Amino acid sequence: MNYKVSEEMCVMEKLGILTDAAKYDVACTSSGVDRKGSGSGMGNTVAGGICHSFSADGRCISLLKILFTNECIYDCKYCINRKSNDVVRTSFTPDEVCELTMGFYKRNYIEGLFLSSGILYNPDFTMELIYQTLYKLRREHRFQGYIHVKAIPGADPFLIQKTGLLADRMSVNLELPTAEGLSRLAPNKHRKNILAPMRQIQNGIVSSKNEIVLYKNAPRFVPAGQSTQLIVGATPENDYQLMTVAESLYEKFELKRVFYSAFVNVNEDKELPALPGGPPLLREHRLYQADWLLRFYGFKAGELLSEERPNFNILLDPKADWALRHLEIFPVEVNRADYQLLLRIPGIGVKSAQRIVMARRNGFLSFLDLKKIGVVLKRALYFITCNGRMMYNTKIEEDYITRNLLTVKEKLPFDKDGITYKQLSLFDDVGFTMQPDIIDTHKAVLGQM
Amino acid sequence: MEEKYLICEDSLEGIFTGIYKAYSLKADHSHLHIQIGEEENLRLFAEYIPIEPDAGMAVKVSRTIQRELGEETYMNICRALASEDKQKGEAVYKTVVCGLQMKNGRQVMGNLANSYVHKVFELSRGTNNEVLHLMGFLRFQELENGILFSRIGPKNNIVTFLAPHFADRLPLTNFVIYDENRGIFAVHPASKDWYLVTDAEISREAMENYSKEELEYQELFTYFCHKIAIKERRNLNLQKSMLPLRFQEYMVEFRK
Repeated sequence: MNYKVSEEMCVMEKLGILTDAAKYDVACTSSGVDRKGSGSGMGNTVAGGICHSFSADGRCISLLKILFTNECIYDCKYCINRKSNDVVRTSFTPDEVCELTMGFYKRNYIEGLFLSSGILYNPDFTMELIYQTLYKLRREHRFQGYIHVKAIPGADPFLIQKTGLLADRMSVNLELPTAEGLSRLAPNKHRKNILAPMRQIQNGIVSSKNEIVLYKNAPRFVPAGQSTQLIVGATPENDYQLMTVAESLYEKFELKRVFYSAFVNVNEDKELPALPGGPPLLREHRLYQADWLLRFYGFKAGELLSEERPNFNILLDPKADWALRHLEIFPVEVNRADYQLLLRIPGIGVKSAQRIVMARRNGFLSFLDLKKIGVVLKRALYFITCNGRMMYNTKIEEDYITRNLLTVKEKLPFDKDGITYKQLSLFDDVGFTMQPDIIDTHKAVLGQM
Repeated sequence: MEEKYLICEDSLEGIFTGIYKAYSLKADHSHLHIQIGEEENLRLFAEYIPIEPDAGMAVKVSRTIQRELGEETYMNICRALASEDKQKGEAVYKTVVCGLQMKNGRQVMGNLANSYVHKVFELSRGTNNEVLHLMGFLRFQELENGILFSRIGPKNNIVTFLAPHFADRLPLTNFVIYDENRGIFAVHPASKDWYLVTDAEISREAMENYSKEELEYQELFTYFCHKIAIKERRNLNLQKSMLPLRFQEYMVEFRK
């Protein structure tokens, strides 16, 4: 093989650089496929996915998330690995990736591999390298754990097809919701080129499912489905646009997941927004909440937002916000309402709705029973009746309920304005034993940090 | 009528035997109770009956539960009995009674308005959550002789739920999972079935006699965890709530 490998660099250094370069990709789930071990190799997968650790930002570590190489011929403005950035470049070899994956997997550090890559020379060349790595891992090392791999836009469809037969999940990142945003920030990428492999994977999954009906042992193509990622807050698109795009991805491309990534400004560029308050975490959180409403609660994007109200409420979650605008259907009688209606009540989630349906077969449920089942009464009490009675004497009135809901502090994974305040301390420690790396030390000495 | 307390051993066998005996007394179930081990505060107007575990009776009860209440309920009961709660015997007993009285006993776990069923549900969920946590948080360390060794300190007695998962995942590997709170080992020889060892001892040195590569991999993974975090999103509270400190103690990437 004749691509550039910096031989002098050790695996540790490469791992550092290529992890650093991969960390902004948010997808790190290992879910979607249940596969027992074959008894002749190593590995199995669990449908719900497994989290193996959590990093200092509270995100789950499930897969060995690395780039194959951080060399790239493209110059996307938001990306740390863009061509015009002066960063140390390196590449793994397929063998190194295999060794790392197997060594980590058998010690139960990870659930599998997440392999992404910058574009080295051209899309085909990069895709071929990814394919070879997966082939080695699956065939030579007999690895049966989870593999999530990127389909490189513009690569030969045949290569994508071959790779898909070895992977569990494939993803192509849409990055920006509108073609206009894409052409401004990622001049080398075209919406058409991104959607083409997405459609190919979708068709591949469908035909693979049909084949399996006929031939039980037919190879499975991307059994855990495909996903994509949207960057939030790098371009001026509003939440309504984002949700509409996500909805059509779920409906037209049958995606398993759409991930939202609060934009972290890593490059200074005049095209990029300055974010003095840090990444838009609250916005990202609201989008995920709404995403769940689309996928599990039977909501439509058009119900949550509209052209007139294109952004989510900062103070209320999308479901409570919706309920407050539709007070005419409340209060709902919990002992009689159908499952779909139960799902629309704030304070009742998928699990508690299922449990309510089960439990009310054995008699009427009281408020105490609802509490046991896991309903959040603090939020639900304004919207429900049990046996024709409300829990307290409350008014069905928008202002009144809003005021009361706001006094119950919403549980957010960070503080309200999206920033986590912390006392600065000299002895701050993330909990990992790792020392700050050389670049950090230099920055600290030069006063850049 | 006088209250009767059946005192059972803290095991699946012990409690199932207790349920068998309770039924054979042919008394009103509301006056019968199952208790695990001796209680300090004895009640004056109550009879205490010690129960010896009996494999034959236990098997009968377990078959009845599986047949009448279904496999899923049975798994829920097993998980509940793996918990550390002192009331688990009573809750399981009354849940079985409740299920056998229902027209369709397979729906018993849905009857969450019943406080005993709810208790079993909660205990079972607690155990299951810990199993799911440890499927991810458990760490193997390779010893000099090539065996993968893992030390855990779970709240519930869950080694029997963990071992099948890892036996399926690492069929060609010799591995041992050691529950240091209970002194139980799950041993899996390569390509063979796993088994439990209860009365064995292991020294600290034997546990830490690592292979040549082991420390290198630990260092690599610690470095990976360090690098994967996004500084701008740093949120240690979230990390702690997702990964409680009691697990971190056993994990290589958090070791001081």
